[in-house]
Amino acid sequence: MSGPVLRRAALIVGLAIGLTLGLVYTWGIAPVELTNTYPALLRTDYRWDWVRLTAISYVADGDLERALSRLDGLEREDVAHVLEGLIEEYAAIGRSTDAMRRLTTLAEALDVYTPAMSVYLYTPALPSPAPTRTPSPIPTATATPTPTPTATATPTHTPTPTLEPTSTPTSTLHASSPLSTPTPEPTDTPRPTSTPTPTYTPTPTPPLLDRLHMTEKELVCQPGQTPRIEVVVKDERGEGLAGVEVWLTWPGGADRAVTGLKPQQGAGYADFNAERNVSYALGIGELGIPLVTGVRLEPCPAVGNERPFIGSWRIVLEP
Amino acid sequence: MGFAIGWWLWPAKYTNTPPSVLRQDYYDDYLLMTAAAYEVEGNLKQAQERLIALAPKKPVVSVIELAERLVKTGGDPEEIARLARLAQAMGTTTSTLAPYLEGPP
Repeated sequence: MSGPVLRRAALIVGLAIGLTLGLVYTWGIAPVELTNTYPALLRTDYRWDWVRLTAISYVADGDLERALSRLDGLEREDVAHVLEGLIEEYAAIGRSTDAMRRLTTLAEALDVYTPAMSVYLYTPALPSPAPTRTPSPIPTATATPTPTPTATATPTHTPTPTLEPTSTPTSTLHASSPLSTPTPEPTDTPRPTSTPTPTYTPTPTPPLLDRLHMTEKELVCQPGQTPRIEVVVKDERGEGLAGVEVWLTWPGGADRAVTGLKPQQGAGYADFNAERNVSYALGIGELGIPLVTGVRLEPCPAVGNERPFIGSWRIVLEP
Repeated sequence: MGFAIGWWLWPAKYTNTPPSVLRQDYYDDYLLMTAAAYEVEGNLKQAQERLIALAPKKPVVSVIELAERLVKTGGDPEEIARLARLAQAMGTTTSTLAPYLEGPP
């Protein structure tokens, strides 16, 4: 082997050894130390926890802008995965409606959707008394405009001494007439309706749906019947209430039914097919307030030589 | 050349970092969020695990340091109170934070 060739080989070998040693040192022994990292570089489990913490913090402080900035730079898949799981988890364990609304608001802002959200989206923030239900002036015995047998209540043409012609320029009547003749017209006689009756004050009772709660939970054992969750909604008089939206939610899903669609079962009846080992929550009405949580199918007690089977739940909701 | 490649051209990539090496602002955020999560969920064990991941050697101290720093810089009283409550749940409090345990001063 000649001198130049040997020198070239030695150079190449030297370079290779130098490169190897350099890489071993810089990658293994003294790598670049990252001390100012950011959430996107976190290990997967920590990264998911960051998303979860962001969502829970938003539940606590309601600062959407801050929550979104905390999630900035993270993969959308990570955010969606964690947020969906958290919403399903919170729905299943029956977290407060406010908490669920906050979470669904955040999810919606991030274009994340999950079945359990549907109950909480686009619903009013507070279960305030709905104006459509309360102002019913119920014609009860107290509400009758009792025509007091006074002289003023009789629609006679004889003007009573209490009638002062100058003091009754009632709204549009004779408003343009400059004359206020002292002879009172028969139409100006005070009507019985003008006497304020204190019985018209609206009663502050909240709507029926806001007052519903579980009054009965019965295990229904009928062999051969598909396991289900039956709901019966009743009013104050104990009569079935038709047309009530009932929501059944569980981790990963939600279902909706309306009472009264199976009239043979009663006006307030609705049911859902259910599965074992799933924790269900029941909500009522547009507000979707979870009224009953942790509903799980259970086996019926064995009778004689019957094979054990899964029963259904019958849940009665009343004010 | 090896040093140039290893430190500059293709430095070692870190993609699985622990929270302890987060930049200071993210680090503080992690602490604040841990305190908020403790308030919402009430899970002290989980809060402790998070703090240990964040500050393995001094989990409670990191909470108190941030809370006192926020007191000095006029931070949000509600956030200070959350941190104070978390520190108290872990068995520590300070005279600076004591007023926040009864409500924002």
